[in-house]
Amino acid sequence: MGKTILTAQNITKVFPGMKALDNVDFDLQAGEVHILVGENGAGKSTLAKVILGAYKQDEGDVFFEGERLTLSGTKDALAKGIVAVYQEFTLVPYLNVAQNIFLNREHKTKLGFIDHKKMEEEAKALLKSLNCEYINVKSPVKKLSVAEQQMVEIAKALSYRPRVIIFDEPTSALSDREAESLFSQILKLKKEGIGIVYVSHRMEEFPKIGDRITVLRDGKKIATIGINDCTNEELVNMMVGRDVSQVYVRTQNDHSGEALRTENLSDYSGKVKNASIVVNKGEIVGIAGLVGAGRTELAQLIYGINPIKSGKVYVNGNEVEVKSPVNAKKHGIGLVSEDRKKQGLALGESIALNTVSVSLKKIFPRFFMNKKKIYETAKQNVEQLRIATTSIHKPCKFLSGGNQQKVVLAKWLNFDPQILIFDEPTRGIDVGAKMEIYKLMDQLAAMGKAIIMISSELPEVIGMSDRIYVMHEGKIVDECKRGEFTTEQIGSKMLGIGVGGTKNE
Amino acid sequence: MNNIKEKLKALPPVSWMLLLIIAVFSLASPNYLSLSNFRNILIQATPLMIVAFAQTCIVLTQGTDLSLGAQVSFATVMIVYLAKKGVPLFAGMIVAVLLTVLIGSVNGIIVAKGHILPFIATYGMQNIVNSVSLLLTSGSSIYYASNVYRFAAESTFLFIPVMVWIAALVFVMVWVVLRKTKFGTNIVGLGGNREALSLAGISPARNLIKTYAFAGFIAGIAGVVTLCRVESGQPTVASGWEFQAVAATLLGGTSLREGKGGVTGTIFGVLLITIVKNGLNIVGVRSVYQNAIIGSIVLVAILIDAVIKIRSKE
Repeated sequence: MGKTILTAQNITKVFPGMKALDNVDFDLQAGEVHILVGENGAGKSTLAKVILGAYKQDEGDVFFEGERLTLSGTKDALAKGIVAVYQEFTLVPYLNVAQNIFLNREHKTKLGFIDHKKMEEEAKALLKSLNCEYINVKSPVKKLSVAEQQMVEIAKALSYRPRVIIFDEPTSALSDREAESLFSQILKLKKEGIGIVYVSHRMEEFPKIGDRITVLRDGKKIATIGINDCTNEELVNMMVGRDVSQVYVRTQNDHSGEALRTENLSDYSGKVKNASIVVNKGEIVGIAGLVGAGRTELAQLIYGINPIKSGKVYVNGNEVEVKSPVNAKKHGIGLVSEDRKKQGLALGESIALNTVSVSLKKIFPRFFMNKKKIYETAKQNVEQLRIATTSIHKPCKFLSGGNQQKVVLAKWLNFDPQILIFDEPTRGIDVGAKMEIYKLMDQLAAMGKAIIMISSELPEVIGMSDRIYVMHEGKIVDECKRGEFTTEQIGSKMLGIGVGGTKNE
Repeated sequence: MNNIKEKLKALPPVSWMLLLIIAVFSLASPNYLSLSNFRNILIQATPLMIVAFAQTCIVLTQGTDLSLGAQVSFATVMIVYLAKKGVPLFAGMIVAVLLTVLIGSVNGIIVAKGHILPFIATYGMQNIVNSVSLLLTSGSSIYYASNVYRFAAESTFLFIPVMVWIAALVFVMVWVVLRKTKFGTNIVGLGGNREALSLAGISPARNLIKTYAFAGFIAGIAGVVTLCRVESGQPTVASGWEFQAVAATLLGGTSLREGKGGVTGTIFGVLLITIVKNGLNIVGVRSVYQNAIIGSIVLVAILIDAVIKIRSKE
């Protein structure tokens, strides 16, 4: 292990409504793989983006080879030899593999035209060093599989001859064989003295490549430890552990009768595989799992957004066909989607209009709308949910995340669904608003509504749910009742530990 | 053998439609399949062909330029207007092309810096440019006698009219730009993944402006060619060409999403539209029906393409 090449000191980054990074220190040595772990929203990606210059930190400094870094964008980082392999692909679909690898650094012939032959040769050599010589460098990347695209992305990063590489969950799209060849490539890079930051959820990978681990939680650094100095259980503890008794208050109530049941649901994309769940009236059922485990996709099947490939859905014991959201609403199903800005709200419209948007037919059974009635409804909602706003006519885009989420909830309260699915209901909002949302969920359950709660934040799922299903790679891998589960158990199930043999068949 | 099969498969579906339509017309009229008619079709297709090459570049960036037709008309007007004031014809042509490049740049700046939807920005520009053309001509055609027109429109080189050669040159130019230059790579990237461009240190805005300016340059050339064909400056000669160019581009397999496609397919698209028009004239279909027929063909071709796409997804 060599000298320190990159140091981040006291990094703080604030987004509207939340502190994404809070006084975080981080350092990277030449020839080291430094693993960054934490729950979704813990600040891993934000830290990576600060190092890459994609975000400007509000406080703190980054030093690279002894010099203070002042990056005005990823371009500067690339010039310094700091590159990233992103989770979301940064490839142009209808340029070929070689063109993508050498984007903005195209080789030219003497006449000044692009030298495809030379680029293709070099791309071939790069891919060969990754054991991916089967990828046709002349093919548009659109025609490649996701795994192949990931390898192209990695080849592109390597072509910059980097000093520091940041991998953001690079194996999530790879098969075992491809992952193994990636690891051997990473070990090779390590030997060459390159510093590697490796962001990942997959604990089974850590001992294969890692040297040190830094755990982030809620934007704070919890610890930096040597790879052999802690057990998996300790890691999970550090990632999720916090006092959950205060925030989550649940009233006891009866779970009388089944409200929703799915039988062996599968979708066309293969993200949901034979998922069977039951939700009773008055019950909050949590669905735990990592991002990409198929939780959102399951919700979208139940709500009719995506077509069901096989399996059945029962509402109140009767088989129903949910062909579309309109259809799902008719059966009394509602969905608070994970992306309130894109799917939950008409951002440019007023609070008032948003609150009635799903229940127009209910509020106005005749053809015309009545403004007075809309305003009355909205005023009630604002009071009931304590939405902080100066006026019900304010466009939603001017509200904070927490208040926006409350408007989404108000919208569904007015519709009064019997089954309500919450997909990441507290993402990106502050603790105060979170607690109010928890309280509301509890009230809804007490009123006999059936509630499904999807969340990446384990403490929240554990704190709120009467029962939890754990999803891993599209399958329901575990089910447990309140009082029977511990954070560590569910945490390791989410990560696929003890599930066995399900990884990337 | 396999190679040929692959190449045939790579042809856009519109090329098969083209063959089918030629077959239908040849059966309907004995005069149809003649060399002179095909020469005719090529000449008729030329101005639209050039405009469609420009439109293809814009469509690749996920936009549409509705001012292209107006730019063509404007160029014909400008050249004649300047010639009447004593400016030599060739100098006037250069000035006209420079002006259309300027119009294109303004389009690009509005789209890229103002984040205005391309069709809205360029629709505004279309109206402005049309007004200027009408002002310069007081609303009617203007004339300036010269042999240059005839030379370009009627003389041939290797049995092919000079005009068609000009279109071929424009094709080669656009093809080379798209395939062999950084700028062209960026055009494909603009439609495919702007984020990827920014991350690689390329300015999407600057390249967008360049693309609209480039389209203006090509529209200027189309204006010169059109002038040689109509031998006058006509303020409305190319109105509606921008839409025909969009149709031809889409028929040719260029997609409004993801930067898919290229200029080769556009040739087939333009030929299809021109051949249908020409054939309907020869067969003697009344002009009131012609637009409806062309519209239907465009819709059907695009629907077929969409259906193939949906099928291949499933």
